[in-house]
Amino acid sequence: MSCQGQLMTQASPARPNPGLFKRNPPIAGEAEAIAAAKRGDAEAFAKLYNLHKRRVYTLCLRMLGNVSAAEDMTQNAFLHLFRKINSFRGESAFSTWLHRLTVNLVLMQLRKKGLNLVSLEETINPEDDSPRRDFGSRDPVLTGSVDRVTLERAVAALPPGYRMVFVLHDVEGYEHNEIAGLLDCSTGNSKSQLHKARLRLRELLRNPSKLPQSPLPHGPAESAK
Amino acid sequence: MTLPGNIDFDNLKPEEFEHILPDLFAAGSGKISQDPRLKKFLAANPDCAALVSDLEIIAETARSLFEPVAEPSDRVWQNIQAKLQEDSALASIDDDYIDPGMPLD
Repeated sequence: MSCQGQLMTQASPARPNPGLFKRNPPIAGEAEAIAAAKRGDAEAFAKLYNLHKRRVYTLCLRMLGNVSAAEDMTQNAFLHLFRKINSFRGESAFSTWLHRLTVNLVLMQLRKKGLNLVSLEETINPEDDSPRRDFGSRDPVLTGSVDRVTLERAVAALPPGYRMVFVLHDVEGYEHNEIAGLLDCSTGNSKSQLHKARLRLRELLRNPSKLPQSPLPHGPAESAK
Repeated sequence: MTLPGNIDFDNLKPEEFEHILPDLFAAGSGKISQDPRLKKFLAANPDCAALVSDLEIIAETARSLFEPVAEPSDRVWQNIQAKLQEDSALASIDDDYIDPGMPLD
């Protein structure tokens, strides 16, 4: 499935996710900046970029896993945004619209690289690579909490298909029907992939010393310079 | 995969629980550990209870990753500006374009 047609439209096969709107409240000055940007105001473009660059870049970095690719994708997403801003009709939060655009661009890039996001289980998670679910034996459990830095490193170590579904659902707040629409798979497949992603994370989090470094900085927002 | 309506939660087996777990997570608020239907089962199956607890911790911590932690370098905005200026220049050329075949007044 090509996602080209979904990039800048607000029509979606999935219902809007009310939770996503709650997580994307209106930002002061944003509506005025959007209106000015529609008239071609360069300062308004700069304002919109500054309001949203961190969220878009963090999303790209988390999904793509390296700084250079994430910066290129951030640039690509904002160029798409500015060139097509007149098609934004305000039916959803602007940030929701921008993030959907970004996710679609990332998915297109991953597909171009040969990552088959449809047959996730067969292509990304061969049977012998699936997380084990040993109910019969006593496994050591997580110690009541996981810090976000360690989880970030574990997420970075996930196979791309698992990481995609986990980031979309558990981090970004997409629902399974939305993910199914984005990835052109069934909601059952999305649920199954998410579950396997969490199981894999559980395994990874048991040996945090073996986790690779995350491409994301550990503290508050930092420049990637 | 959807949650069947005829599940006997009081006599659930671990392998059945494993099968329905993705749907249990998807169906509710994610707090399976507090689902009264599963209280007896989880008490009798500590490994399953530990699994549920761990997966809930992972899902809860994941929500804290929503806030952005990284910022792109200045190069990104410089490139965007340059491309937008190119677009603007091209649009200006398009606006000024005169069809050579068009009759002059």
